[in-house]
Formats: sequence, structure tokens, C-alpha cells
Amino acid sequence: MIGQRAAPATDRAGEAGSGILSRWAARIFVAIVLLYLFAPVVVTVLFSFTTSPRLSLPIEGLTLDWYGQAFSNPLFMTALTNSLWLALVTAVVSVGLGLPFSFGLARLKDRARGPLLTASLVPAAVPALVLGLALAVFFTTIHVRPGLLPAAIGHILVALPFVILTLNARLETFDFTVLEAARDLGASPIRTFRDITFPIIRPSVLGAALLAMALSIDEFVVTWFTIGNQQSLPVLIWGLLRRGIDPAVNALATVVLFSLVVLVILASLLSRRRS
Amino acid sequence: MTVRPPAGAWRQLAPATAFYLVFFGIPLLILLVLSFWRQEGFTQVPDATLGNYAGGLTNKLYVTVLLRTILVALVTALIVVPIAYVMAYLMRFRFERRANLLLGLVLISLFSGYLVRIYAWRTILGTEGLLNTALLQLGLIAEPITALIFSPWAVMITLVGLLLPLALLPISSSMSNVSRDHVEAARDLGSNGLRLHRTVLLPMVLPGVGTAFAIAFVLAAGDFVVPTMLGGASGGTMIGNLITNFFRSSSADWPLGAALSFVVLALLVIVYLVTTRLLRWVSRR
Repeated sequence: MIGQRAAPATDRAGEAGSGILSRWAARIFVAIVLLYLFAPVVVTVLFSFTTSPRLSLPIEGLTLDWYGQAFSNPLFMTALTNSLWLALVTAVVSVGLGLPFSFGLARLKDRARGPLLTASLVPAAVPALVLGLALAVFFTTIHVRPGLLPAAIGHILVALPFVILTLNARLETFDFTVLEAARDLGASPIRTFRDITFPIIRPSVLGAALLAMALSIDEFVVTWFTIGNQQSLPVLIWGLLRRGIDPAVNALATVVLFSLVVLVILASLLSRRRS
Repeated sequence: MTVRPPAGAWRQLAPATAFYLVFFGIPLLILLVLSFWRQEGFTQVPDATLGNYAGGLTNKLYVTVLLRTILVALVTALIVVPIAYVMAYLMRFRFERRANLLLGLVLISLFSGYLVRIYAWRTILGTEGLLNTALLQLGLIAEPITALIFSPWAVMITLVGLLLPLALLPISSSMSNVSRDHVEAARDLGSNGLRLHRTVLLPMVLPGVGTAFAIAFVLAAGDFVVPTMLGGASGGTMIGNLITNFFRSSSADWPLGAALSFVVLALLVIVYLVTTRLLRWVSRR
């Protein structure tokens, strides 16, 4: 709908170059897109602070009660602890697997590297629903009960392609001759990694780890199929949502949202920095 | 980069490859095997039947839901990709100086919580939601528009918001490889407006556009949370809801659910192949 209205505007933008009309059409288009993207965010944060439990405009008053209610939910602390544990495990393991993999990729010839990189991204192209189901059936088959560990495996599977993608982008411009120089000067492989390689790629590694944490904290579908009776923040939110409108959900969601935004901003700042 | 002997490379590739094989390859294989089994009561019986596929593709309800899923995913992708293309174009060639800020904002919205955004759209689109309340107070409508929520429309409105950032990323990244001079030169030679896009820019960013379309279609077709929250009881059910029910509810039928999962996967591969071929054909004309 937005696309149909805006398409002629850009054609004009292309024709007129820097005409005032096209300039405004372009600005309005960007503004509408941003409004569309941020409307849900604004609504959630706004209603986490309003007194009226019924969602209505104009806003009657402001309160922190919903935060109190959300935090005093006995399941909240469990969900928060579990989510943090999952995020940490996901970050450590996916980077632990993804970093050597990306180095291995960088050492391969182009003909082998392309298909292998594509193959490593395939899980990200499979709907989360199918990933979740496949893992649920798999763990049932090998008699592993649903819980935090299966959920962690699911999170790693979700995060690993993105970790590899991030690290691969960094290593494509990595100067491997530096390592050879270090080796020629007598440094051991471990020393070379610790003193040369890691300091150079550290920002990207941290960026990839934070991205993995963000993906983990936000992961719902695969988690729902693998976590059983355990809680995570999205699973808790889902449970509350199914019970009907509860403004405490907005408070809970705002907490998740805030932590995700912080992680993503940090991740993108780190990934962009080239030491 | 120097060419290095890949002797040690395989050792570095092994751990992640092993992880993928054990926790991605084998589970999918088990799911595939399961799709040829039979459900008897509460247990799955080993078999080598195509009954689940045949039954799944002849049952009127399943086919209706499958067709609706394809339609919703197709329309969603067809709305998302042009918007993402125009947005990426504007970020690259019109608002160059603020491109990083815009991209950052898009990324933040992408990570502003999957469930949160879906729930918020329900708040916005509901019969007593923000949009209806605002329209009522402005006097633009006399009665709340009930079709806004619990309909395929609500599902598509929400999916567009969810998938737009994801579609923007690949298009934006392939557009960053297009030089400004190239576009200027084409413009100087008299190529402008739609023609400039179709003959010059689009062919250059085609891989990104294809990826964006595939991502949007796959994620829209595979989503079951959005139709659960906003699709309503019957009119908005999608294939993800059916599959989920076969695995969770008392009317469990794992083999049928597994078969339907692979029908969806096959469908996604077909759509991907058709799209990439179609795009190549369009841009070559």
C-alpha cells in the first residue's frame, strides 16, 4: 500500500535529480517507512508507563506499577536468569565454533570457499518452525528431555550462521601476511593468535558475540519447541499474551527491547571499528 | 591475501561442520524419515508410506490453508521488496550523509523484539485499538473497522513491518557496491526514471533483490506466531498453525506434520528458484 503510493514519487526523484518536490517526496517516504517500523516500539514503551490498563488515548496518567507487577511475577526472575544463561552460552559456543570455521574458510581457495560459506548459512534460510520441530523430534528420538540444554543447542544453530557471516566479512580483508611475518620471527601459533591475530579481530569477535546474544534473547519459535516446561523471557511473554491483555507485558517487553537495543548498538559499533 | 596450503583448514572447519551435521542435518533427516511413518493413536509407527503427502495434498482444508499461506507470503514479499528497494536507493543516492544513521535505525527496529512487535500490532489494529480509536475520535469513521484485526490483512500488515528491515539489508548491501558515477553516467546518457532503474540499477543489485524476496517469502510463509496472534480463528490460519497443531495438541499426528513441513520446504525452494530466474529475465529485457 505504501509502496504503491510511493513508487511514482521515486520515479520523479530519479528524473528531477535534486528538485524540491522530489526531495520532499523522498523525505516523506523515508518518514513513513520509519513510522511503520517504529510504531510498535513506541506503542509498547508508551503503554508500559500509562496508568490505564485499557489501551486508550488520550493518556490519563503515568506509572511504574506495571514494572513492579512484571518484576514481582515469580516466573520473571527464572525467565531472566534462563535468558541470560542461554545468551551467554549461545555467544560463547557460536563464536567458539564460528571463529575457527571462518579462519578455515579464509584459507580455502575461492572455488571451495563460496559454496561452503553458502552451506553454512542454510540454517538461517530454513523457517524457525521447521528448525524447532526437527530439533524437538531429534531430542525425543535420542531420549533427551526438553529443557534449557536443547534450547541452547537451538539458539546456537540460529546464531551460528550470523556469527560466521559477520566474522567472514572481517576476515576477507584480513592481512594474513602479518601472521606469516610473526611465524617467521619465531612466534608459536598460540602466541601469534594471542598477540597478533586476536587483537586485530577483537572488535569483530565481540560484535559477533553480542549479535549472537541479541538473537538468543529474542529467539522464541525454536525455544518454544525445545525448552519444555522451562521459562525464557520470550516464552514468559508468550504465556502472558495468551492469557489476554496484560499491561505488565508491555513493561516486560520494554525490558527485553532495551537490552536488545543496547546489545545491537554495541555490536554494530564494534563491528565497524577497525583497529 | 596469500594463497595458503589448506592443510590445517579442515581442522578449523571441523567443529562447526560437526555441529551442523549433528544438530541440523540429522534432525532434518529424522523429520524426513518420520514423514513416511504412520500415526496410530499416540504413537508413530515406522512405515514407508507416501500417505501423509497424498493425504496432506488432497485434504481440502490443508490445501486451502497452504494456498492462503502462499498468497499471503507472496503479497507480503511483493509489498516488502519494492519498499525496501526504494528505501535502499534513497539511503544510497539521496540521503548519503545520513545513510549510516538510517541503517542503524532499521537495525534497531529489527532487534526491537519479535514477539513485542507482533503484540504491539495487535494493540494498534484491534477493534478497540489505537488506529480505530484515533479514526473514531477524528470522526473519519462511525464504527470501528473490525476487518483490521483477525484477518489476513492484519497478518500481512504485521509481517511487512517484521520483514522490511530484513529485506532492506541485502538490497542495501548490494547497492553499496554500485558507484554513484555509474548511475550519473547512465542519467547523462538519457536514462532516467523507471528506465534507469530497470536497465541500470536493478540488474546491478539483482542478487540482493532476489535474496530479499526469498527471505521475505520464506519467513512470511513459515511464520505461525503472527497468524496465531492476528489471524483470527479461521480466515487467517496459515500452514505454520496446522503444522504446530499436529505436534502439540491432543490430535497429534507427527508424521503428517513432518510431511507438511517438507511440503513447505519444497515450496520455498521452488519459489526461490522461480524468483531468481524471473528477476534475471526481467532485467535482461
